[in-house]
Amino acid sequence: MGISALGYINGVHVIPPGRYYDKGYRELFAEAALKALESAGNPDIKAIYIASALSELTGEQLAIGNILRDYSGIRNAPSIRVENGDGSGGFAFMVALNHVASMNDGCVLLVGIDKPHEVTSLKQNKYASYLLDSDYESYFGATPVVLAALMAKQYLKNYEYKYEDLAAWAIKMHERGAKTPFAYFKRAAKLKDVLESELVADPLRLYDVSPFVDGAAALVLCSKPNTRDQAVGVLGYGFGASNSYFASRNDYTALMSVIEAVKAFNPLNDFNGIVSVHDTYSILGVLALESLGLCKRGSALRLLNEGYFDPGGKVMVNLDGGLKAVGNSMGASGVYQLASATMQLRGDKPFNGLNAEAAVVEDMVGVDQESVVFMLKVVK
Amino acid sequence: MVDQSLSVPKYWRRIPQYYRLTALKCRKCGRVYFPPRAICDCGSREFDEVELPRRGRLIEFTVLRSVTSDFEKQRPLIFGIVDLNGVRVLGQLVDCPNPEKLSDNAEVEVVFRRVKEDSDYGIIYYGFKLRPLKGCW
Ligand SMILES: [Zn+2]
Repeated sequence: MGISALGYINGVHVIPPGRYYDKGYRELFAEAALKALESAGNPDIKAIYIASALSELTGEQLAIGNILRDYSGIRNAPSIRVENGDGSGGFAFMVALNHVASMNDGCVLLVGIDKPHEVTSLKQNKYASYLLDSDYESYFGATPVVLAALMAKQYLKNYEYKYEDLAAWAIKMHERGAKTPFAYFKRAAKLKDVLESELVADPLRLYDVSPFVDGAAALVLCSKPNTRDQAVGVLGYGFGASNSYFASRNDYTALMSVIEAVKAFNPLNDFNGIVSVHDTYSILGVLALESLGLCKRGSALRLLNEGYFDPGGKVMVNLDGGLKAVGNSMGASGVYQLASATMQLRGDKPFNGLNAEAAVVEDMVGVDQESVVFMLKVVK
Repeated sequence: MVDQSLSVPKYWRRIPQYYRLTALKCRKCGRVYFPPRAICDCGSREFDEVELPRRGRLIEFTVLRSVTSDFEKQRPLIFGIVDLNGVRVLGQLVDCPNPEKLSDNAEVEVVFRRVKEDSDYGIIYYGFKLRPLKGCW
């Protein structure tokens, strides 16, 4: 095999994100978890990791692990819930990965789950504002989109782009989402749609914002590859953090946590393969590409418009349409990214014919609070 | 009532920052932190309290149209990053009916205003806001 991985993703399942008024946390959890376990050949599970940001806020449930487990009939494994905002999925995966790496032979289950649509959009905005510093930022009414908008304004100004250039993110993500079976938005968007959509926080419009969705995605992570399939291994990961108080950051046009996290790897300027970025807002997807080192500062928007990040190219970005098209399932979003990257590497339909051997997956907490970046690889 | 009495300390313990922009200045290297921190990047844990200057320059701003439940009546909200003698703070800009008229580097002053009324319990909260000196209309 030659490659030594920290762990192997032997099974995945994602629920198509949406507004599940007829299903609660337990129903979505059971569906994702049981199908992921089945796809991994129903191995014994040593632990259940649950990535969720909103389970007590919208589900009014503490200690949700046993409720979910009991409903799903998964016994004899402790449940561990990980909360790190909309980065919960990536951080839970990091913990699960370390657990698996410490075992000779064993598997753990990771489920990302959240249901923002249990509450109204005003409440969703309030809960999203908890991603900022509650004492010094959200106290004054600031929300994540405010910080993203300030970054977008600075970026467009500094590098002399027009808003139309940024609109390409939404257009390309919708185009990709239209081909993704589990995307929330499955229709294409035209420049006119983006330009005429309502302003949320200038320059960002509705199309720059990933929609809140209910969702559950599950992975079975094991210390040994599943021989029945082409295995996907996790080669490594990096972690980084930025100043928690937004205004105190030195640079409003880079994601410091991503720059720090990616130092765990050799520079990615020659990287060839699949990239998944946490585009809660269009600008954060663009900045992530630069902060990962995939291209020079200020160049990502030009390259995006030139098609450099399109499917079939050297660096294929958000082949499923990203959070923009798949939806923002908060604590589950990182698990969706990891599950989707696994399907893309395996060449599951509609991602067949890509022949990519490696994937970089970036998950971020809030607007550049903490980030974790993973390197996934096909192990033949 | 239990919820109210619990929410109040979260507010009053921050009054020095909300009302007077009280920051911490490192005794060793002189760096000023707003909001306060327990330890300086230089490693020192000894600080003096200082109040940030009341005037500064606007670095960037945006107008938020999709607000949270506590701010529904105040929609839209203008947020700006302001440089107060080298320390940058995020705050709401007020007395600015036409934000598109705000110029880069506009001079702003710190003012004291009502921040919000809690949507669940009706408690009124106060704090600093930022007013463009030359207005914007
Ligand atoms: Zn110091």
